[in-house]
Amino acid sequence: MLAAIPSATLLGVEGHHVTVEVHVSAGLPGFSIVGLPDEGCREARDRVRAAVLSSGLTWPTKRITVNLAPASQRKGGAGLDLAIAIGVLVANDELTSQSVETFGFIGELGLDGSLRPVHGAAPLVVALGDVNVVAAIGNRAEAEAFSARPVRVARCLRDVYEALKGDAGWPSPPAEIAWAEPEAVADISDVRGQTLAKQALEIAAAGGHHTLFLGPPGSGKTMLAQRLCGLLPPLSAQESLQATMVHSAAGARLPASGLITRAPFRAPHHTCSIVSLIGGGTSALRPGEISLAHGGVLFLDELGEFSASVLDGMRQPLEEGVVRVARARASATLPARFLLVAATNPCPCGGGAPGACDCDDGSRARYLRRLSGPLLDRFDMRVPVQRPQVDEMLQPSDAESTAVVAQRVASARLRSISRGGTLNAAIAAPLLDTYAPLTPAAQRMLRRELETDRLTGRGYHRIRRVARTIADLDPSNGGELVTDGHVAVALQLRVRLSPLQRGRAA
Amino acid sequence: MSTTPEEAYAAALAGFDRMTVHRLSLLLQHHLPSVAYAVAGGHQRPAGLAAKIFQDGELAATWRRNAVERDPEEVMAQCRLLGVQVLVYGRDRYPLTLLNDPAPPPVLFALGNLDTLSGRRAGLIGTRNATLSGRETAGVLGRDLTRMGIHVVSGLARGIDGCAHRGALRACNEPNDNMAAAPIAIVASGLDIVYPPEHRKLWFEVAEHGLLLSEWPPGTPPEGYRFPLRNRIIAGLSEVLVVVESRSRGGSLITVNQARERDVTVMAVPGALRNPAAEGANALVRDGCPIVMDAGDVLIALGLDNRRTGSVAYDPRPRPDEADQVVLEACTEPVTLEHLLLLTDLSLVACAMAVARLEAAGWISQIEGWFEQVRWSF
Repeated sequence: MLAAIPSATLLGVEGHHVTVEVHVSAGLPGFSIVGLPDEGCREARDRVRAAVLSSGLTWPTKRITVNLAPASQRKGGAGLDLAIAIGVLVANDELTSQSVETFGFIGELGLDGSLRPVHGAAPLVVALGDVNVVAAIGNRAEAEAFSARPVRVARCLRDVYEALKGDAGWPSPPAEIAWAEPEAVADISDVRGQTLAKQALEIAAAGGHHTLFLGPPGSGKTMLAQRLCGLLPPLSAQESLQATMVHSAAGARLPASGLITRAPFRAPHHTCSIVSLIGGGTSALRPGEISLAHGGVLFLDELGEFSASVLDGMRQPLEEGVVRVARARASATLPARFLLVAATNPCPCGGGAPGACDCDDGSRARYLRRLSGPLLDRFDMRVPVQRPQVDEMLQPSDAESTAVVAQRVASARLRSISRGGTLNAAIAAPLLDTYAPLTPAAQRMLRRELETDRLTGRGYHRIRRVARTIADLDPSNGGELVTDGHVAVALQLRVRLSPLQRGRAA
Repeated sequence: MSTTPEEAYAAALAGFDRMTVHRLSLLLQHHLPSVAYAVAGGHQRPAGLAAKIFQDGELAATWRRNAVERDPEEVMAQCRLLGVQVLVYGRDRYPLTLLNDPAPPPVLFALGNLDTLSGRRAGLIGTRNATLSGRETAGVLGRDLTRMGIHVVSGLARGIDGCAHRGALRACNEPNDNMAAAPIAIVASGLDIVYPPEHRKLWFEVAEHGLLLSEWPPGTPPEGYRFPLRNRIIAGLSEVLVVVESRSRGGSLITVNQARERDVTVMAVPGALRNPAAEGANALVRDGCPIVMDAGDVLIALGLDNRRTGSVAYDPRPRPDEADQVVLEACTEPVTLEHLLLLTDLSLVACAMAVARLEAAGWISQIEGWFEQVRWSF
């Protein structure tokens, strides 16, 4: 008459264990679900009943009560369908409670009894713990990647019923057609010219420096940003788990292995809402783009077109590496450590050489003012990008390939982490003298920039961090010192923004 | 009788009761001063539009009495005693600047050196209850303009006006400065009635070094309505009008409006936002007034950019070495670092270093990644 079936529900990127208690008793026939189900969860009533009947099983004409424990926590989605159905079958004595003892159930049911995959299988499996997980075929890869015990998959409720009853074995369908392999990573040698911008990509990858590309349309800002992921090293084990959890929870595509091992690249459109970028929205607090970019690159094209509130929402996650999404009923901490790459035109007309641009100083200033100062401040590099010269386009490319550059990036990252335990972008200002000591010539150069007001105090620290990375990437730089050459390149990678700021690299 | 100069009649007329600028202008437009005096005394019929004035019987009676009481000879003698010259519109020595004024003073009383009016002039005005910094600014501007040979025009009022003149006089009293231009003050009372009284010393120093002007004959008290009228003369005599500190409403803004009617450039010294004494000046800035930060800005507005004067055009920038010279020559038109790399065949580091050196030395300047050559300008 009573059954308790383990299942799980999703909140943020974490699964929460849910015990589905089903009570079947004499009384007016009816079916109610309690324990704070959301709308999608409550609709399980109709799906489960239809699925049970379609599977040729008996639906008890009795009073059925389903409780989702813990009752105080909100449950969302259709992932509890299978557990509810099994619970009804057990409570109706169609199955013995012994037969389901070692199992946990995740999956959505169709009216025809078919079993469908759900979002967030990875965190759900983790939350279920030490049980044999029964899930839809579509969730197999994720579930297997995170489950300690063998994962059982089934096509439909009938399969599950028969396997549990012992009438048939668990189906073992052939491995599904693999989900799209991660797209062939674009190679940096495709980019013609753009020496400075490519250098900036290498530095960004090696030091974790947030980068803003400034240039007219068609100058290749997007092309450059897409090539940054290839330069980043594979994700660490922990990052890989976190990234997979996030992708799973958001229902984003996962590679065939079920684990994300490459740095993800996310490029939300500039019309995106604050919730889609930061996370939240549904009762399950879906992870946003910044969490999906965890461990990888978040590329914001046309930065000025994003609404100010959306961009300002990113400031705290940029600082902390996590985003805390809180709503009245629930809150979640989502991972969000990403490399921010943005691109913007220098002015409304798209810009070009000084004098070639149609915009007056006022409209240029207005255009740049859309980027809030605190956000601009987060960028270590502001890299000018120009349309490549015709000569550069046509001449055969002898540029380095991604593999070569990635090698340098990896060794530079190793150098910086073995020095300070962090990437260079995260060196605290007071530690700069320890980790990024300057040669006297470099000191003189920075002093001159500061004295002529071309550099502010905040810019000074950013320049020093970038220069540290440039020194780490420099094969000829044996010592730990940062030379004037490194500082000079760092200065070129932080251009002044508008005529109104003439002489200032804020 | 024939020896009495025409100016004496005009001076006497200006002191009549209920005499206004308008009435005096009408009288003197249609008659010689001596005739106008006779007309006011009821001995002759008024000509043209001047006849309208005499439709007011009471006024005509008052003036007939005044004509008996105020003898032109006596008035002239009093002026001579004080050293005051009388200038009549359209006649000898009347300031040329005011000839084309929309509302020229028909008669002017002058104390001091009339030649100052032929120099370059800048008005310096502001509120009477100015802040300390406003006073200082006015003083410094007055001093610097005077040093640079610009006559400071102001109203000798309390606050900014007085400070401007004090600054101007300080420069005049500096030894070995033959360039200093004496201040010009326009007052609203007779030239023997010092107002405000605490400016007595300043008043006579201005008269001694420069020029004191009034529209009213000696003995005229400083009545309130005369001040806005005085302001129009300040506006008329200024080539550039600088508002140092001004409240949101006040006399300075009347002068500003008068200046605008006369196409005189109005400039303003901006003040702190929450400083009520600077509200008017700040509003002017908001409305597009050019900003004055030092006397040089006023000079530029006067078309007297002096930044190149005094010193030979010597370019103190350190010469770039040969390698940098190559980079500098590549910057003849706006170029990016990308272009420079192509043009010079240098490595990124070498190019960045060269650019940094050239920029530090002031040979090139960079905006949004574009480098341009900079000429030595100051």
